[in-house]
Amino acid sequence: MNDPGKCLLKRVIRRIPANMLKTTLSHWGRVSDAQLQSVDFTTSKWALTEKLLNICEENELTVKHVTELEMIHVIDYPNLGMWYAFQLFDPDDAAPSVDMTQFKEQFKFHLSKLMRNVSVKIKKHTDEAIWIRVAWGDGFSRPNHMKPTYVVHHLQSSYVFVTRLTSKLKPLLSQALVLSTRYQGIKDANLSGRNLAALRNLLMRQYQQVFSTKFSTPLAEKSENISNPQIEREQAESATKRHQMACEAFGDGVLPQLQSAVYKLETKFRDHNNKTMTDREEPFKCIVKFTSTNLLESLRHCASSGIASTPVTPLLSSVPVKGRNYFVITDNVPGSSSQTNRPQK
Amino acid sequence: MERASTKGVLGHLSLLETQMRSCRGKHQQLNRTEQLKAKVEALCVQKEQLKVELHTLQRLQKVRSTLDGNGADDEMDDDSENADILQLMAKCARLKDLLHAHHLIGGYDVVKTRQDKGLCITLTTAYEGIYLDTYHLEMDLSPKLRISRHDIPPFIPLNSLVETTTQTALRPFLDFLSQHLNAFTGRKQQLKLVKEQHKSVEVMESNVLCSVLVLLVRVPERKLPVLCILDYTDHSRSLPTGVKFECDDEPPNFEQWKKSCRILLERPVHKALITMKSLGCIV
Amino acid sequence: MSLLKPFSKLPNINTASILLVESEEHLQQSLADVLVEESSITVNVRLAKSLPLPKENDKDRPRIDLVVFIINLSSEQSFISAEASLKYLDPGYFLGKVCFMVTSARSAAVPTERMDAVRKLAASLHSPLLFAEHQTSEGVAAAAERLLGILKVSAGVVPMTTALYLSNLTRCTLPTDIEQPSFD
Repeated sequence: MNDPGKCLLKRVIRRIPANMLKTTLSHWGRVSDAQLQSVDFTTSKWALTEKLLNICEENELTVKHVTELEMIHVIDYPNLGMWYAFQLFDPDDAAPSVDMTQFKEQFKFHLSKLMRNVSVKIKKHTDEAIWIRVAWGDGFSRPNHMKPTYVVHHLQSSYVFVTRLTSKLKPLLSQALVLSTRYQGIKDANLSGRNLAALRNLLMRQYQQVFSTKFSTPLAEKSENISNPQIEREQAESATKRHQMACEAFGDGVLPQLQSAVYKLETKFRDHNNKTMTDREEPFKCIVKFTSTNLLESLRHCASSGIASTPVTPLLSSVPVKGRNYFVITDNVPGSSSQTNRPQK
Repeated sequence: MERASTKGVLGHLSLLETQMRSCRGKHQQLNRTEQLKAKVEALCVQKEQLKVELHTLQRLQKVRSTLDGNGADDEMDDDSENADILQLMAKCARLKDLLHAHHLIGGYDVVKTRQDKGLCITLTTAYEGIYLDTYHLEMDLSPKLRISRHDIPPFIPLNSLVETTTQTALRPFLDFLSQHLNAFTGRKQQLKLVKEQHKSVEVMESNVLCSVLVLLVRVPERKLPVLCILDYTDHSRSLPTGVKFECDDEPPNFEQWKKSCRILLERPVHKALITMKSLGCIV
Repeated sequence: MSLLKPFSKLPNINTASILLVESEEHLQQSLADVLVEESSITVNVRLAKSLPLPKENDKDRPRIDLVVFIINLSSEQSFISAEASLKYLDPGYFLGKVCFMVTSARSAAVPTERMDAVRKLAASLHSPLLFAEHQTSEGVAAAAERLLGILKVSAGVVPMTTALYLSNLTRCTLPTDIEQPSFD
């Protein structure tokens, strides 16, 4: 094995948690059972790495094999970096019938045409997701396996999730994706976060949304819990109404874990007491950022406890409804840019 | 006590207070258990009494019913006019129930929301008599009919459905959407059933829309693996539009496979596999 | 505007009713759970976020003997909401049937001005100011004990004393250090 391979193996071993190392390695399948038995997993990571390096030399494994191990680890622990969502638009007639083999061939073909030194690995996960690992090189250097880009896509779903992609390489990846999935274009979905499953659930609408229906919802049944008859809430009715509204806006149960929502304001400054600022022609630019360990649950709590007013402002409810957490807000002037999200009131 | 004194007068006072509280609590608890025991005894006695009463009442009723066994019919004939009205009322109630049932099952369930400014439509999906997922659409009525919120998965082409059906006719749009959703959940359910019922068949590939299904089946002779590719191009149906077989070794028994193809095209995949098994095409 | 009045209804025998007003609803419930366990009298607890109370409950609401405003010092909103609610109380309540309870007073992040503002408010309304620890169950129990003491008096179940009399002893007085204007 050459130096980059050794480097990569060392890094991957360092990243895999010690208690998961054995299962991950057996899952990898490049190390025989007998060899696995010979490794003492209670020793330090450093000693383990040395031992595994020897085994890999013995089995004549190459960088390619080590990337497989890295992929297994990233699939198991996807929430280590920032994930960005992209949306494919305008499908061709052939788009619904693209299957895995076709996609695999096409993607590799198109990407290798765009760039000479590139190493692509595609793996299908059990939940129908396609995982792609791309190690980029350039015209003269070999692919750099230390800084790979990971792409996750569900066929026929029009959403793509990408992590560790530099802006220089974005057009190349975009083009390869568009061509191989048979769509016309790809755009930024304005959604990012550390939790891949959360982004996916939010965009695929796989979380518990609440709608007003004729049937009594579990929501209503839950709130009818029996309490002490001597304790009475005076404003119980308005509280349940607030809770219902908050749940309708953000969903019920465990919500997808988003870390932040960013609003970029490019609106005119309006304050009757402050003439100098109001009279200025150019928009007043500022960025409002909400951060939390679970933003949607925080917002829901704000609305249901009455800290934020209900009905929830469209600015906040747009996060789950539109599935994005980056907004540019401009004044709604007729004929202005199409980026206008909503007039600022 | 010594520990409390180090904290000063206030600490001591609070300690005394908590002691008093716990003391009162214990006393109360004892009192309460005695009360509850007495109550249990009283209730037991009452229960016995009620049992005896019920028994006698039942016996009395039995005796009475044997006495005037066919007297009831005569009464009905006397009051024939009254009975007619009663029957009509019963019929009316039944029809109302039916109407309600139609509303629940046949019709779409629509609720007004946001002070009559919006509608919330519930679409239920079912496959082979089993209720599956429920989907919702929330619509704005003014200034124009517009979908404001929904929980339909993004791979269902909602936007193109809206475009193809006209804005004014809500019903055709809903019919179309409902057909689409039913087909989707039907395909999903079929896939689930295949995985559950047919352990010998391996599902090689499928996708989120369940529009492609690749199965690995085995032929009885030599356990030869054959790939069976089902293509559901028409997304509003839960039956495949195309079936293909692929085999590495040799072209399979042509006549037999043609028949299998037909079975797969006509029946839901999990049932078709059962038929194919019984015909001996696959293991 | 519907005012909450202290003597518009007849009292029940051996019963006291207390209204807890807290905009955050953190302490309310746990305090209520402790209060209703009192055995010597029946304690009815009504919980509210703010005043005025909804009209539809007027009928089955008992006579409120004590109104407690719970103010969380770490939030400005809590103070503003309590201040706004005050004007929906009949002046009769301020003769010993109102009390203020402050939480998070020990937090270092609380500006001293807010504490002073609460003190001034309580002093100007001749009402007692209590401090409570809302994070521990002992703190809640102690707070409930204090409230019960005042409640029993204001509900008239303690012989030989009245709410007005007690309030003369327990009301918050402004310490000299914040009232005195500086002479410089």
